[in-house]
Amino acid sequence: MNTELIISMGLVGVMLSMLFMGLLIAYYGSSKTRNVGFLFLIIGAALAYYLTQTDTSDVAFWNGMLAFVGGMVGGIIGIIVFLVAIIKS
Amino acid sequence: MDMSTDNLEVMQFFASMLIVGIGVALLATGMFTSYFGAGKSQKIGFALLFLGGVTLALVIDMAFGTIGVMPDQFVKSDFEDALVSGVSALSGMIIGMFVILFVLMKVDTVDDLEDLDLEDLEDLDLDEELKKLEEELNQADNDKEDGNSEEEK
Repeated sequence: MNTELIISMGLVGVMLSMLFMGLLIAYYGSSKTRNVGFLFLIIGAALAYYLTQTDTSDVAFWNGMLAFVGGMVGGIIGIIVFLVAIIKS
Repeated sequence: MDMSTDNLEVMQFFASMLIVGIGVALLATGMFTSYFGAGKSQKIGFALLFLGGVTLALVIDMAFGTIGVMPDQFVKSDFEDALVSGVSALSGMIIGMFVILFVLMKVDTVDDLEDLDLEDLEDLDLDEELKKLEEELNQADNDKEDGNSEEEK
């Protein structure tokens, strides 16, 4: 179960990187890098499609996503606490 | 993959990783500030470091019951799954970033000169432009000399 969890959540991470960085590169890139940005966007979309279509494991996908989002939100809160502590000092 | 949202366990997965995220962020920023900071900032860094350590210790205690201070709030196996999920997704993001950087470095990202619009440059007559500049400079010099001679008078 853990292996499937690692693979699926790893793919989610790669997908997010591809989608967001692809979006940025496709929008702000020069004529050549823009094409690469579109390629990243296509790869990200393909990964997203693959993740929704695979039905080979019993991984509770959304629980994993909850954990990931929770960790990210927690990290942001921690950094905000740090900034508040530094600014208020 | 089970894509159903019926059995979401917010407390086990979201809350536990939220606390872990806060702990890790406090620990990392505390280490950074206590090492590079000076005076008051350094003290704040140590406080953040302590707070981060305590937060992580408490959440581990809530999951595994190693210290025995906090009640067993999280199921051990769920907590492990949540931790594995978070670390895997972060690792995936880092790998994705590396792939993107690698591709961007390999692709020739500099625009060719052929793509540039050189028509405007071809229309320019450089000799005429130079003459105009010389005339402007001469005029400026003359104006200065006239001003100086009037002052002497």
